[in-house]
Amino acid sequence: MLTNDGGLVRGTLDVLVLKALSWGPRHGYAIAEWVNAITDGELLVEEGPLYTALHRLEKNGWLTSEWGYSDNNRRAKYYVLSRAGRAQLRAEVTSWERYVRAVGKALGAATPLTA
Amino acid sequence: MRRVFRLPFLTHGIERDVDDELAFHLEMRIQRLIAAGRSYDDARQEALRQFGDVNAVRESCVSLDEQRERARSRIDMMAELQQDIVYALRTLRRNKGFTAVIVGALAIGIGANTTIFTLIDAVMMRTLPVRHPEQLVAIGDPARVGGMSNGSVRTDVVSYPLYKDIRDNNQLFSAVLASGRAPRLDAQIDASHPELEHPRGRFISANYFSVLGVPAAIGRTFDAHMDDVIGSSPVAVISDGYWERRFQRDRSVIGRTVTINGIKITIIGAAPPGFTGEIVGTSTDVWLPVTMQDVLRPSQKVLDDRGSSWLLLLGRLKPGATLAQAQAQLPVLLRHDIVAAAKPLDARNFLAGKRTWYVSDGSKGFSRVRDTFRAPLFTLMCGVVLLLCIICANVANLLLARAVARGREMSVRLALGADRSRLVRQLLTESAVLAALSAVAGLLVAWWGSHALLTLAGDGRAIPLRMGMDVAVMTFTVLVSVGAVALFGLVPALRASRLDLASMMRSGASAIAGASLGLRRGRAPLGMLLVVGQVALSIVLLVGATMLVRSLRNVQSTDVGIDRDHLVIVDVDAASRGYTGARIGPLANRLRDRLAAIPGVAAVAFSENGIFSGTESSSSVEIPGFAMRQPDDSVVAFDQVGAGYMRAIGAHLLAGRDIERGDEGRPARVIVVNRSLAHFYFGDTAIGKFIHFNDSIAVQIVGVVADIRDHDLSRASPRRVYFPFMHGADSLLGWPGSLRLEVRTAGDPTALVQPVRAALMSVDPLLPIDGVDPLVTLMRESIAQERLLAKLATAFGVLALLLAAIGLYGVMTYAITRRTGEIGLRVALGAQRVGVIGMVLGDALKLVAAGVIVGLPLALAIVRLLGSQLHDVSLADPLSIGVAVAVLTLSAVVAGLVPAVRASRVSPIVALRAD
Repeated sequence: MLTNDGGLVRGTLDVLVLKALSWGPRHGYAIAEWVNAITDGELLVEEGPLYTALHRLEKNGWLTSEWGYSDNNRRAKYYVLSRAGRAQLRAEVTSWERYVRAVGKALGAATPLTA
Repeated sequence: MRRVFRLPFLTHGIERDVDDELAFHLEMRIQRLIAAGRSYDDARQEALRQFGDVNAVRESCVSLDEQRERARSRIDMMAELQQDIVYALRTLRRNKGFTAVIVGALAIGIGANTTIFTLIDAVMMRTLPVRHPEQLVAIGDPARVGGMSNGSVRTDVVSYPLYKDIRDNNQLFSAVLASGRAPRLDAQIDASHPELEHPRGRFISANYFSVLGVPAAIGRTFDAHMDDVIGSSPVAVISDGYWERRFQRDRSVIGRTVTINGIKITIIGAAPPGFTGEIVGTSTDVWLPVTMQDVLRPSQKVLDDRGSSWLLLLGRLKPGATLAQAQAQLPVLLRHDIVAAAKPLDARNFLAGKRTWYVSDGSKGFSRVRDTFRAPLFTLMCGVVLLLCIICANVANLLLARAVARGREMSVRLALGADRSRLVRQLLTESAVLAALSAVAGLLVAWWGSHALLTLAGDGRAIPLRMGMDVAVMTFTVLVSVGAVALFGLVPALRASRLDLASMMRSGASAIAGASLGLRRGRAPLGMLLVVGQVALSIVLLVGATMLVRSLRNVQSTDVGIDRDHLVIVDVDAASRGYTGARIGPLANRLRDRLAAIPGVAAVAFSENGIFSGTESSSSVEIPGFAMRQPDDSVVAFDQVGAGYMRAIGAHLLAGRDIERGDEGRPARVIVVNRSLAHFYFGDTAIGKFIHFNDSIAVQIVGVVADIRDHDLSRASPRRVYFPFMHGADSLLGWPGSLRLEVRTAGDPTALVQPVRAALMSVDPLLPIDGVDPLVTLMRESIAQERLLAKLATAFGVLALLLAAIGLYGVMTYAITRRTGEIGLRVALGAQRVGVIGMVLGDALKLVAAGVIVGLPLALAIVRLLGSQLHDVSLADPLSIGVAVAVLTLSAVVAGLVPAVRASRVSPIVALRAD
């Protein structure tokens, strides 16, 4: 979902991060690559806000983090989805689907409703 | 993926982590771009562009992480604390006996401190329960609540005309109230009970309750117009306590008429609960309008007399006015007023004398006990603080011993990576839990103790004080408890956590015990230092207590100059039965003759003031040829006495003769003086010399008597004159205002109290008898405060001694258990049992000696505080010090003997096997 200036609505980025981590621990760069790949580079205008989102989610207790070593043997910070984060992801997905269904229904309506 | 241990990070750690994380991202992106064929510089530009504002992101990440860290450490701390408390409670519950001993000891220590502080708070710190007490200014000496002075104008108490002048002519106060003592009230509350009751009364100005802002609980208080006409308001307001005690809170008491001193008085209201008047430490039952004084006490009309000073005033400052302004302006007003209204001679005398003006903070009201209790209470406060220190040392020793026993647990936890500070915190939590339990128990002790103390201090009748929990008392208790934790908890906790890990793991608890407790091992171990400290503090308390006891002995056995053991003092209220003026002389003679006829009575005399009666008269004199250096030099105390007074009371006549029958009843032209007077004015030969009273009347000295401590055991007698008892009008003395008889008995005076009462009744059955008491009883009451102080100091001293002995016993027992092997070896090598006992006792006495050496200078410094409490005891009294040291040494020997004997029974075989 895009705001007027083309940026991401905040909550949407959060959901994407949670989704990116649902398959296991990843570092920030990997998450950014995943988001880019999955959305064809359309959603993520800048990569910086991704890190703000990561640290915010960690503060909320939805992520935990630990330092590890990347594939090319560089020290990197890995994020892990916590139990609370997983629950949050489920809730977000459910509410997103309900939202999309409702808007879709409205936009696909054929006749105006009469009272 | 490999993981590294994550260390708890600090703030700069957070920043570094964020930097590392962002750098990793940028480097990965650059590498990817380079791999796609870009140049390094180009790739770097592109990576930064894709990232956006690096600094802004970094800032927000750091700030989010810091918030998270703070929240986490808060939660961790609470969790740890909770864990520590649960753990502490579990540990304490497991050792019930240990816990009970510690909590009991600390409760006594904290309770004693809170008790004394509660009293200090009640007597010295609490403000009156009235509206805006901070606006009140006291005029007059707050200690002279029962003052009544006739004659020259005074500034420590105020006359009624002077009160009206102050009330009407000052600019500082919105209102000024007055209160003064009432005479004994003979009240008939209930027509069906003919017996007279004596509620405690006080005369107050009609604006009293409205100025203080105290409304009536039921009924109403006085109206301002009640002050307008003397004797026009026969009404009374009673206190809540009296309403409860006498009327069982019956509301119909309002409007009820009672008879007080023969006058019908209507009760119009009751004061609210908690209000006991403006005098701290005295409760008033009945408040009467000040204008009723002359009606209720016709024998002493004072309302129009500027020479009768008896009122204390409280002024309520106007908004913006200050106490300092009052202190600056009131003396000017008072001086002007007094001089303008006084007779020329009085005015001249008044201006000549150096005057103290009594204008002070009135928020705490007046109090007689505040002055008399100040020094004893602070003495006791020092005592209980010392006691608590000793108790803390004992508890510290116990905890230390247990910490040693728990050494293995500690070392295991340290080895498993527990933080040292975490261990200290946990041990401190245990101490804090102990202190909290003890504080609660201590508050109970204090509640009981402060009431018991007031009952003791009041000699059976509890002194009424508003006590109990207020912010000050609670704060004090909490502070004392926290201080106690710091004292007894910190040292063992630090000590226990600093155990030597290696040796601990290797050889178990005994090795640690050896490292931290024991005799003759390099550095003095903590347990011993604590015992030395205990002994030192005990010495302070013991020396103080012994000195107070000695002082009391001195006061009690001091030569009062009379036959104290065989006198009964009779106090009758002749005036209220109509024996006033010329009628008092014949009554005195009849009573004397009747009492003299009782079997077992050796002699009888009478006097106006008498001995330990609480009333005293004084006058100023002129001596031809004697230059007065100070205003006080001309003041002498005087009494009027019947024939044979000196013989009857057993005084020592030094020269000349006693007052005889021929002198009685005549205008007083001969006197007997005491030695102090004779010596002060005349040197050695006073007989035949003249003293001038009232400027002109000369009287001749016919006798000199050794000083008699008539009214105060602890102070030397003032200069005193004994006039013959007046039976006729005289321009010098006037009629005696009261009558006391002194009865000397052949045997025990107590046995004659009843016969004397019966004899008095046989002369006039309706004559009110205020008291028939053996002199020793009156004397004992007069030094109640000294006796109380000595009693309490002794109790604290004994407690301290006991605790020090227990501490010593504990340390010696421990040391001997440790040295079993060594002692066994000595025995095996031929040491005698006596030798072993001597060695152990010697060790114990070394500790005591060290304590005494530390404690004595401390004691000598601290007993200086006792200064004003001591009579005829020097501040470095060798006897007191000797007694204290001897008592302490004796208890040390007793405490050391048990472990010493046990040591001497050590069998070499067992000892060697034990190692």
